[in-house]
Amino acid sequence: MAEAEFDAIVVGSGMSGGMSAKELCQRGLKVLVLERGPEIVPERDYTDQLAPWESDHLDNVAQDEIKKHYYKQYSGVAYAIKESTKHFWVKDDEHPYEEAEGTSYDWLRGYHTAGRSIMWSRQTYRLGPQDFTANLEEGVGVDWPVRYEDIVPWYEKVETFVGVSGSEESLDQLPDSVFQPAFELTDAEKTFKQKVETRFNGRNVIPARIAHLTNATEEQRALGRSNCQARNRCHHGCTFKAYFSSLNATLPAAERTGNLTMVHNAIVQGLDYDPANNRISGVRVVDAETNEARTYNSRVVFLNASAIASAMILLQSKSESFPTGLANRSDQVGRNLMDHVSSAGVAGIMTGFEDKTVFGRRPSGGIYIPRYANVTENDKPYKRGFGFQGGARPLGNSGGQIAGIGRDFKEAHKRPGPWRFSVLAFGEQLPNPENRVTLHASRRDRWGNPVPVFNVSYGENERIMQKEAVKDAQAMMEAAGCINITTSNADLSKPGNRIHEMGTARMGRDPTTSVLNGWAQAHDVPNLFITDGAFMTSSACQNPSLTYMAFSARAANYAADLISEGVI
Amino acid sequence: MKTRREFLQGLIISVGGASALSACGDAATIVATAAGEGGRFYSADEMALISRISDLVIPRTETPGALDANVPGYLDALMSDWASAETQNNHREALQLISQRLDSLSGNFMTTSEAGAAAALSELDSDAFDGDNGLGGYRSLKGYITQSYFATEAGATEELKWVALPGRWDPSVDISTGD
Repeated sequence: MAEAEFDAIVVGSGMSGGMSAKELCQRGLKVLVLERGPEIVPERDYTDQLAPWESDHLDNVAQDEIKKHYYKQYSGVAYAIKESTKHFWVKDDEHPYEEAEGTSYDWLRGYHTAGRSIMWSRQTYRLGPQDFTANLEEGVGVDWPVRYEDIVPWYEKVETFVGVSGSEESLDQLPDSVFQPAFELTDAEKTFKQKVETRFNGRNVIPARIAHLTNATEEQRALGRSNCQARNRCHHGCTFKAYFSSLNATLPAAERTGNLTMVHNAIVQGLDYDPANNRISGVRVVDAETNEARTYNSRVVFLNASAIASAMILLQSKSESFPTGLANRSDQVGRNLMDHVSSAGVAGIMTGFEDKTVFGRRPSGGIYIPRYANVTENDKPYKRGFGFQGGARPLGNSGGQIAGIGRDFKEAHKRPGPWRFSVLAFGEQLPNPENRVTLHASRRDRWGNPVPVFNVSYGENERIMQKEAVKDAQAMMEAAGCINITTSNADLSKPGNRIHEMGTARMGRDPTTSVLNGWAQAHDVPNLFITDGAFMTSSACQNPSLTYMAFSARAANYAADLISEGVI
Repeated sequence: MKTRREFLQGLIISVGGASALSACGDAATIVATAAGEGGRFYSADEMALISRISDLVIPRTETPGALDANVPGYLDALMSDWASAETQNNHREALQLISQRLDSLSGNFMTTSEAGAAAALSELDSDAFDGDNGLGGYRSLKGYITQSYFATEAGATEELKWVALPGRWDPSVDISTGD
């Protein structure tokens, strides 16, 4: 093989791709990052500085436009898609997908620099020791080839760089991160915490852990980042770079090494495989704007395109050696697609705080109730568990939906109003090989790439778990003294809707039943690593971005070792 | 409706043009645009109705009211640029229903006194928030008016004390001392 143009190619610049690129660059490797979407320039594309009156029609996207371009994205995350943020989300008509009959799937995403790390909700939790052993103990899926202790140093390294606000709680199942100060709980949340923890032994109500700077380090300041200003404009980007995104942190850090080359509008169509040396020999790309085809090559390839897109790239990369897709001798590529599962949120009014309000707009978060099911409570009719996200805040401006007119009505909006407490469970979904993404047999997108077909359904465990979660939430609300407790009759969240896709190229010990080894390196192809959500052997119930980044950092440093040793 | 529309048209001309705009509750407050003119979406009489309702829902107090903040113009843009044909039709039908109900409560909502109009709207509002499912269109209109008002600079900064850059999070502020 001719000398490679780059030491490493990273496909995707989002949450995990940014971390892969940073670590590889900092190890002195020449890195090419391929991003399928256009460049986001913060000074031009962040809209966080717009005042409410600087947006038209209440910042709502026109209804006809939603119907034409955002019919999937908007129905999935209406809260985040505004007139001033729609440029961060894909147009569904340009990026179609299909769903198997009788199923539905939300594939919610943005194609641009830093991917969804710009629009994420920033909740940041470690997995716990139990999450790495549950499959083995229960005989579900395959065993993780990694244990919690293996990843601890990488969690620490990533957290120190990213910046996570949270409180030290010393919980076994939800280990503490390296923290910056937490956002303090509201009075109603403190009361809820006290009453729930007294009534339910083993349950904890803690401040949400979120990737916001509250005591920026020198390293973070050097990247132009500063502390959170409590504006809660995060879905518009952040000019203060106070919340973590690839664009606010990892990509600038990678760039400062002088080793980063970034190419936008580069849609990867496939990976070329050289059977002579059992290596990927090229990354085939089509330019999203010009349709020009190019091939790049490197010594190692990191797929960080997201669990679904990375699986599709492998499935599209067929060769004589790999007739069903690259690195797919196990037939597990595209299978075991997981998300987190929610059902109805539960809400109630907490009285006694009418003389209290808050100052500032807390970004994301509020409270988190770590998993207790099958951790401290072992009487459950389901496997695994869930964590609750939620919080209490004054209901405040009710948008005109209270009775009355005139002065009284007008001034009612100035008062904080009743305090409303709400929680939503995020539950673990068990791996199931029948839940999968495949390539459509004939339908192609405008660049000639097969469109994905999703066939994903929740199982009995998820259904039973979520019913119990709603009951638990109601009981905790009652214990805390909430009144007017309500829950909708909502069915389970649509698969994909929590935007935590994972599992499509799982890690495992056995090459015949898993795609990746414990380093996130393909069993079948030594110079291929996949460190987006695809590697996840089980989903746990914690928001996964931190774990993707920790495994990315670990794999990148392992790959750099292999390169320096001349192994790959 | 035709007769009524013609009547309203005449009324608007008779009370003067945009310069007559006032938030203090005299008869002229029904005019939010130039005499006899509607907006891009609203007809002149619809604009007059929206203006009178907006003024009654969010009047000028120590802070600007809905008319000071040009809420009727905001709603006209909302309906023109944001609403689908279906939403537009529903909204237009709702306005007709609201107008009829207000007339039957007040005799003639557009020409009755300030107090008479306020009493009629109060009663309709009370029905709408007391389980009258036929008045969903009114609740929706009230939502548009209120959200639009608080999304204007006057509504956001003077009434709600919205600040662009809080700079800190304080989870516990006593209302007596907080502003």
